[in-house]
Amino acid sequence: MSTAHSHSPSVVHGSAPQDLVHGARSRDHLSDHEYDGIREYDNPTPGWWHLIFIGSVFFSIMYIAYYHFSPIAWSIEKAWQAEQNAEVKRLFAGKVLTPDEAGILAVAADEPLMQYAAGTFQTNCAACHAKDGGGINGVNLTDDHYKNIKKIPDFYTVITNGANNGAMPSWRTNFSDNERVLLAAYVMKLRGTTPASAKPPEGEVLPPFPKPTK
Amino acid sequence: MSHPAQATQPIGEDGATRLESFKYDDAIVRKFVLATVLWGVVGMLVGLIIAVQLALPAANLGLEWTSFGRLRPLHTNAVIFAFAGNALFAAIYYSTQRLCKARMFSDVLSNLHFWGWQAIIVSAALTLPFGITQGKEYAELEWPIDLAIAVVWLGFFGVNFFGTLAVRRERHMYVALWFYIATIVTVTMLHVFNSLAIPVTLTKSYSVYAGVQDAFMQWWYGHNAVAFFLTTPFLGLMYYFLPKAAEKPVYSYRLSIVHFWSLVFMYIWAGPHHLHYTALPAWASTLGMLFSVMLWMPSWGGMINGLLTLRGAWNRVAVDPILKFYVLGITFYGMATFEGPMLSIKSVNALSHYTDWTIAHVHSGALGWNGFMSFGMIYWLLPRLFQTNLWSKKLMSTHLWIGTIGILLYVIPIYTGGITQGLMWRAFDASGRLAFPDFVETVTALMPFCWIRVVGGLLYFVGVLMLALNTVMTVLNRAKVYDEPIITAPALAPRYIDPPVPETQLAGNLGVALAADSVFVSGWFHRVWERKPLKFTILAIVAVVTASLFEIIPTFLISSNVPTIASVKPYTPLELAGREIYIAEGCYNCHSQMIRPIWAETKRYGEYSKPGEFVYDHPFQWGSRRIGPDLAREGGRQSNDWHVRHFKNPRDLNANSIMPTYEHLLNQPLDFEGIQRRVDVMAMLGVPYGENVKSGKAIEAARVQAKQMAEDLVKQGGFEGMGDKKVIALVAYLQRLGKDISQPADAPAAPAVAPTARETFKAGDKVLSANVSAKEGAR
Repeated sequence: MSTAHSHSPSVVHGSAPQDLVHGARSRDHLSDHEYDGIREYDNPTPGWWHLIFIGSVFFSIMYIAYYHFSPIAWSIEKAWQAEQNAEVKRLFAGKVLTPDEAGILAVAADEPLMQYAAGTFQTNCAACHAKDGGGINGVNLTDDHYKNIKKIPDFYTVITNGANNGAMPSWRTNFSDNERVLLAAYVMKLRGTTPASAKPPEGEVLPPFPKPTK
Repeated sequence: MSHPAQATQPIGEDGATRLESFKYDDAIVRKFVLATVLWGVVGMLVGLIIAVQLALPAANLGLEWTSFGRLRPLHTNAVIFAFAGNALFAAIYYSTQRLCKARMFSDVLSNLHFWGWQAIIVSAALTLPFGITQGKEYAELEWPIDLAIAVVWLGFFGVNFFGTLAVRRERHMYVALWFYIATIVTVTMLHVFNSLAIPVTLTKSYSVYAGVQDAFMQWWYGHNAVAFFLTTPFLGLMYYFLPKAAEKPVYSYRLSIVHFWSLVFMYIWAGPHHLHYTALPAWASTLGMLFSVMLWMPSWGGMINGLLTLRGAWNRVAVDPILKFYVLGITFYGMATFEGPMLSIKSVNALSHYTDWTIAHVHSGALGWNGFMSFGMIYWLLPRLFQTNLWSKKLMSTHLWIGTIGILLYVIPIYTGGITQGLMWRAFDASGRLAFPDFVETVTALMPFCWIRVVGGLLYFVGVLMLALNTVMTVLNRAKVYDEPIITAPALAPRYIDPPVPETQLAGNLGVALAADSVFVSGWFHRVWERKPLKFTILAIVAVVTASLFEIIPTFLISSNVPTIASVKPYTPLELAGREIYIAEGCYNCHSQMIRPIWAETKRYGEYSKPGEFVYDHPFQWGSRRIGPDLAREGGRQSNDWHVRHFKNPRDLNANSIMPTYEHLLNQPLDFEGIQRRVDVMAMLGVPYGENVKSGKAIEAARVQAKQMAEDLVKQGGFEGMGDKKVIALVAYLQRLGKDISQPADAPAAPAVAPTARETFKAGDKVLSANVSAKEGAR
């Protein structure tokens, strides 16, 4: 048959259809099914379809065998822990970080650690203090005025315990001791920088801090 | 070998072949078609509005009822259950009657189904914008509406459909009917078991499941809503309307058997791929991934059968917009069902999850497959149902092209935006810190894509308006009196003898192979099932139930799936009230509460989430998209003062934020009196609330905590008079999120007052809470 004069599918019966573009399709043969004029060919499922289907089943078996029953595969949590351990080693190996004045000043002189701390600050502190420390809801950290800081170790104490009835939250459980020393040094070093938008000063003016030293 | 079917069928021995006369009920199909067009316009308009809101937050006009979190569920419910729902009902009511050579079983049930379903849609529109929601995606509607859905779907629609099968005059069921059967039984199962909840009030209920188990049930439902509401009925639609419009035989009967059963059995397993890297146990995640990968070919079976049916008809496709709609629809189906398995691969999902990539994926499926298949069907049906010419063929053709351009302009920028954001989230610089430490940077970067998406959505919406115009004008020109032809067909004979098993085409003498070839490969065995609707339905139920139980039973019974964490305690009464506001405002539409064990993610949000942290979360609120940052460890990260200011206007604190304003929370009173009932229902669900929050004490506890928080707020320099406002409860909830894991195990359960920032951290120093992982044990 040809497609031109087949208004009703029910006339589609008999020999295999001739596709004018692709030539004869002698393999097609109609089944005897007919529903409201709809007919069905009895074509086999394509070979590539079988191959990929069987291949996907085989892949699945191998995947389970490897990831769930072999001793060499790592769980997602184990892979995460390995990265975590490598990070701690990379940042802090061979270094003793102490939350006293000497310790914070020493860390403040460690340029790679300060770059790292900048990221931690921007992810966690910028919501209140702004990315450059100029202050939004939290205080301006760039000027010479300090509300809860009297001496350098207070940076660590305020970050650890919070201040002002929780207006400054405690970050004790969010960061390790070492990370809080880094943050204390970073915040200390924000003093004297020029933010895009500075919140008015709050608290007392402190004398200049000593220079960071190794 | 190709005589008309009726003539070749053996007749029962008693020779009962009396001719019967009947008429098809096309009035019900007309109703469903018009409802499809109407709800298509409404649902897509809401989609357009929320797309604009993402780029321009002020577009919600600052009203609580039009905020993104409340309108997004309205959009998804409207396009899935109203637009696609009515389209699939139109398809089923039109084709089932003709495939069964029978009028629908009951006109009363047909009309109850139609009007009941429209009433459900209207009730969704009247509840979701008011924050009445169960807080589970695509299952948001509250319990009275859930009950109505069950009654209308199974009691009216299901009975009517299976009744029609029972009185059919066609011996065998065509493949479209198989897909309809699978749709009806599976959607019933999914809806009932995912929606199980204990009512608190007429407009509030709590899921009986919590945390990991609730997440599992939700995505078992959510994924299979895609499968059995948006895929199987539309494959049925394709199998009827495509060969009708193309006037060509279906490419392969045997392929339709294989892909039907493999699709129905395998789809059910795939739900957990929505929960990769979450606190869901790894084995479930793996099953979800692998069954999705294996589902690729079963899905493509439908595409092959659709596209190859058009062999020899491509000259017609070139001139017929209806066939073009089908070709594009099936092509989008093919792309979406390749992309689905790809996205389900864990490492791909690590990038794509929580981004717009998923949104692009579902829209290429929804706009391309569901939309275009529906449009093709409607344009084919309009002249037949209203017995007049289509008003404008030119407008139909314009709809096709504007719709296609609309889809491309929608999905391409959103694919780009999704991948961009996913890469930005995980990017590190040389110093080992996040390259984009501030979340909002990754939002601002997407704004150009968001605007292009608005243009694409607008074009698609204009196309739907063209369909609406064409429909209205065609209806206005309808026949004065509909010609309802009287059909005559013989009733089914009481007995039927199956034709003999066909000769095998294999050569050789291996008996088993020859028998298998003739009985199975030829499809002979299946031909027998096709004339037994009850057996067929039971087999379909067995397939989906078996597949479900393989995952559900271990999820609920293996205790190691959710290791207990002693320090995780129930929410305080005030926090519970705040959680309800979180759900009502639809916060989960933009914020996840699930930190994955991915390095960039713990760097940004903190310790990854553990299964044991969610055991009191009825329902879970893990979310599926991060339009805003994750909140799983939000507790204690900002002051109460910051939160209240942020709710009043997020842009006061973050100029680039696209979060809606929630000023109404600062003005509306908190319903303290209703808290007791909520605590009691939670206790009924097994949340260990002690005596100190029973018989009215919960209300008192909430007031005490609210009072103290309000006082702290003032001391922090914040707003006065917040102690009896909704915002105080919501802030209390947010301040609790993710905190318990770092508490000592012997902290008092459900403290009457919230621990202040100072008291909270008596736990002592902890190094990155690594000890928590150890405490939790192997997962």
